[in-house]
Amino acid sequence: MIGGSPWARRLLATVGVLALVFLMVPIVIVIPMSFSSARSLTFPPPGFSLRWYETFFGDAQWMEAMWTSAIVAAVSSVCALILGGLAAYGLRRGSFAGRDWAEGNFMAPLIVPTIIAAIALYLGLAKIGLLGSFAGLLIAHTILNVPLVMMVMGVAIREFDIRIEQVAWSLGASWSYTVRKVMLPNLAPSVFAAWIFAFIGSFDEVIVTSFIAGKYNTVPKKMFNELILEVNPTITAVATLLIGLTVLALAAVTVILARAGRLKQTLV
Amino acid sequence: MVVAFDAPIVYMLGLAFWDKTRGFTLEHYENLLETPVYLRVLGNTMRIALIATIANVAIGYPLAHWMRGLQNRARLIAIALVVLPFWVSILVRTYAWIVVLGNGGLVNRALLWSGLTDAPVSFLYNELGVTIGMANVLLPFLVLPLFAAMIRIDDRLLQAAASLGAPPRTIFWKVYFPLTVPALAAGTLLVFILCLGFYVTPAILGGGRVPMISNLLDTLINQIPRWEQASAISTILLIVTLLIFAAYRRLDRKASA
Repeated sequence: MIGGSPWARRLLATVGVLALVFLMVPIVIVIPMSFSSARSLTFPPPGFSLRWYETFFGDAQWMEAMWTSAIVAAVSSVCALILGGLAAYGLRRGSFAGRDWAEGNFMAPLIVPTIIAAIALYLGLAKIGLLGSFAGLLIAHTILNVPLVMMVMGVAIREFDIRIEQVAWSLGASWSYTVRKVMLPNLAPSVFAAWIFAFIGSFDEVIVTSFIAGKYNTVPKKMFNELILEVNPTITAVATLLIGLTVLALAAVTVILARAGRLKQTLV
Repeated sequence: MVVAFDAPIVYMLGLAFWDKTRGFTLEHYENLLETPVYLRVLGNTMRIALIATIANVAIGYPLAHWMRGLQNRARLIAIALVVLPFWVSILVRTYAWIVVLGNGGLVNRALLWSGLTDAPVSFLYNELGVTIGMANVLLPFLVLPLFAAMIRIDDRLLQAAASLGAPPRTIFWKVYFPLTVPALAAGTLLVFILCLGFYVTPAILGGGRVPMISNLLDTLINQIPRWEQASAISTILLIVTLLIFAAYRRLDRKASA
């Protein structure tokens, strides 16, 4: 802030830096620990080794969990993308009674505490006999990720000039042609960003999965279950891999959206 | 089209409210009031949520304020450092605190080395650890909206106050702070809501010794199957959450207006 004594400024800067350190500490510590050669979690690590990664990649159960995670994330993120994209389009372009209500409806999984969503899905899936099934897992992950997709796509669609669509239609383009040749190329960066968010959302999901997945293990579920029993350095390697995945995904989103923004500017 | 795709979600909401239809009798709610364990967990949850929220405000407000005053490049880096943890899995960040706070962890090493303590301080598997973990995980939820609101405050407003002879302290408390109050209140409520329903962090950092509502629900569903009881507690938690969320929405609109 303007003014303020130098002393106050220095204090503020100290608190600010400490707060950032507090935020980053977990991430910064876990990464070197995963390359530790020690059996127990001591910091700083006494030596460098890849043994925990070897344990992870050599373990059939972990590998199976990783496959399950990857498949669930891939399928449910695409489902969420289609559902959320169409919903965002309908809500932005349509004007009908109960629009706010419908929007609230779609966004609900983001607001309702996850534990309640987990219980509701548990009871609901048990009712229709899908509890512990792969289909049930896919349904749950899709529902949870729809709001993420809608948030990203909602902004993109609002910024996309409706007159461009109208021009395409007035020139005789069919609906599907308009979508394929006019809308998707324009919205592509946001579609991709939304897909990445949904993928990460699904890949990291632990609470609902723990409740409903039955015999299926995903990486976070297995990690959570192992953590409750005992602390195992292999998890440090898993955590590092998950951080790596998140950083890559965020970097991809940033680059794509930045490029799209620049593209818009150059067009104007 | 919208209707066709709304159907599954409406169906989902039907499921989400399923527990309500089970609550046609008040028996489970009476049961809730008569069982001291439930009340104790409820009180526990409220207390931890409150402490974690206050800690969040105490750390988050200065951080957001400091970030506002940074130059472009430094500010971008600071934003990135807040956003990155926001996206890293809660599970990973919670686990990391075991590594940091454990007996052989960084914090205890530092304490022993500096001679402040003779024996490792136990941070894990008690309320302290849970509170630290929750404050850490939820901090971005407060800082990001608060920072967004602070950025919108026009510098000229502060300069005007200064040119009229107001000392910095007065400018801060009479001009700047009141402008950030709606965003601060909204962020605080959001963090509080999230605290109430927190599951992963208390389960891991509490080691079963710090029961919160979510962990109680887990027990009622997965271990001793008492679905009706769990549904009754869920319904209460859901209503409380939605009420606070309604207040949050009102404040948030005010903050962005």
